[in-house]
Formats: sequence, C-alpha cells, structure tokens
Amino acid sequence: MNKTVKLVIFLGIIAALSGLLIGAVNSVTEPIINERLLASERENLEVLFPGAEFVPLEGASDEGGYVQSAFEVSGEGYAARIETTGYNSSTPIQLLIGFDQEGTITGMMVIQEQETDGFGSKVFEQSNIDTAYIGKTLEEQVDLLSGATVTSSAVQAAVTSTQAMIAELIG
Amino acid sequence: MWQNFKNGFIKENPVFGLYLGLCSSLAISTSLNNAIGMGMCVTIVLIFSNVLVSAIRKITPDEIRIPVYIVIIATLVSIVEMIVHAFMPELYDSLGVFLGLIVVNCIILGRAEAFASKNPIGASAIDGLGMGLGYTFALVLISVVRELIATGGIAFYNPFDATQIIFGFNIEALAPYTVSLFSGSVGAFLTFSCFAALFAFIKQRSAKKEKEAKK
Repeated sequence: MNKTVKLVIFLGIIAALSGLLIGAVNSVTEPIINERLLASERENLEVLFPGAEFVPLEGASDEGGYVQSAFEVSGEGYAARIETTGYNSSTPIQLLIGFDQEGTITGMMVIQEQETDGFGSKVFEQSNIDTAYIGKTLEEQVDLLSGATVTSSAVQAAVTSTQAMIAELIG
Repeated sequence: MWQNFKNGFIKENPVFGLYLGLCSSLAISTSLNNAIGMGMCVTIVLIFSNVLVSAIRKITPDEIRIPVYIVIIATLVSIVEMIVHAFMPELYDSLGVFLGLIVVNCIILGRAEAFASKNPIGASAIDGLGMGLGYTFALVLISVVRELIATGGIAFYNPFDATQIIFGFNIEALAPYTVSLFSGSVGAFLTFSCFAALFAFIKQRSAKKEKEAKK
C-alpha cells in the first residue's frame, strides 16, 4: 500500500475516534450546560411565557451586538435579553423581549434601567411599552418617544437589530 | 520513577525551570482559585495525553506524529472544557478563553514529544502528573503573592459550588496597602521574574555543590 494512503488512514482513524469521544461527552454535558444557562434567566422568562419550555440559542447574536442571550420558546416563539446604553452611560438598559413565531413582539420586560426620572424613564412606563413596542411585526420599527429621544432611540436601535436577528432565526 | 516525578517541581519545573506555558500562567494567576482550577485541568490533560501518546508510540508513523498529538490533545481539552462548563460553571467563567487555550500550552505538546513518545505508559503517566503538579505549584506560588498584594487576602471556594468557601482569610493590617497593580499583567511579570530568579539561584547552587562533590 502506498505510504501516503497509510498516513491518511491513520490520521483519519485518530480523528474519527476523537470525534466519537467528544460527541459522547457532549451528549452528556450539553443538557446540563443548557440547564445552567437557563436557570439564571428562567425567573424573567417565566413572566413573559408562563409555563413554557425554553431552549437556549447558544451563539445567537445580532449585528449591533445588543443581544446578550436568546431563547427558543417551544411552540410559542422566541425571547431575547438585550442590553443597550441610553442617557445614563454607567447603568446600561436591560430588557427582555418576547416574540411570537412570526416575530411579532408579544411582551417586553424591563430588567434594569436607571434613565432620567420623568424623561428617559417614560419609555419604560407600561402604557408606553404597550403602544410603542407590543404588537410590532418584524417589518415595523418601534416608535420613538418625544421628550425621551436619547433613551428611546437607543432602545429603538437595539430592538431593530434584535428583530433582524429574529427574522434570520425564523428564516 | 520518583526522579521523574520530582524533576517537575524544582529542577525542571515547567514554568520556572523550562519557561514553558508562560502565557497562561501569567494571565491566569490572579487568584488562588484560578491557579488551582487551571492547574488541575492542565494536569488531567497532561496525564491523559502522555498516556495516550505513549500507548500508540509504536504504531504512530513518524511523519505525522505532531498532527496526531495535536488531535489527541485537542480532544482531551475539549472534553475537559465541556465537563468544567457543565459542573463548575464559576470556574469556567473565570478561566474564560484560557481553558480552551490549554490546547496550545507548550508543556503538553512538549512532554508528548520529549517524553511520552519514547517511554512506556507508566513512566509517561508519572511524568505527566509530576509536570502537571509542577505547573500547578508554580501557578499557586505566583497567584498567592498576587492575590495577597492585590486584595489583602486569600479566598478559595469549592469549584462545584461557588457559595461554599473552603478557606479564606483577610489580613486587616494589609487592607490599606493593597496594590491593585498586582492583579494586572505588570504584577504578573514582577512576581514571575522574582520567582524565576529564585529558582535559577537554587538550581545554580545545587549544580555547584554537585561539581564540588565530584572534585
């Protein structure tokens, strides 16, 4: 037999064995890792999608880099935790957004924000969330809020970027 | 065999004696926790890679031995990484990218090439253990100094459950004099160079003694 062929076969066998081994270990550790990733976020996710099953989408990222973590909600849609900076540069805004299977925004939850009281903070009042964000389809841009331009345009940019990612996930 | 094991600590300590694996040891030695976690991961990979390389040393074609070693090491590192991620998430987070970078740690490929490929399985395993513990020992030395100077105390927690602190202390008197510089790369280099000098001194002295004994 040709020497080169022998070498190729030997390396091939080693690589195949190593692939097999990694696959075996991965099948054991993957559910545990997913469970850990989920545990820290489950409390918030449960508010948007009560009683649903969540699967973390590892490696999901949007163009603007706003998405911190994303989840597939089995049978219901998607959820994404995003972070962006508004007027207050020391405390970033953290939001959890729920999408249905068509990508329409079904829920939004504020995890953290310390925008200026009476101005930027208006963006996160429930009445404004309901009119500006909820029910927007993938093609629609979320609304800006006058008097809170910096905060609401920061959120708008982040949500638009997240919508693009969700659109890609839906395919 | 005992000699193989002992070599890894002082004379051929991979970090201070052979200057191998410096990148990871400088970067990761910010706390005792990281040092022990990283040391254990490297030791496990070293033992298994030495054993596997030694086990197939007679059937490995010489021309492709390096790719074969790299595949073996990469496999082991991936497995260790997945296990750490699953069972010690805090350690996984604090080691970050350096866990995966064990794959390019030259101690491992170095021992595979220099020792395991020429020696039987048992001796290779002992060599891996000795080198791994030598690396851990070096990391612990650097990290204890750095953590003490940078934070004024030492904390070591259970890697399986970060809320459970195994032992830790804070020196109150030291608290106003902490130097945060030591948690950065400058502190790493300073600490490392002092230890390297100390080890070189010990090595030189013992070599001199041997010479005199011969006379």
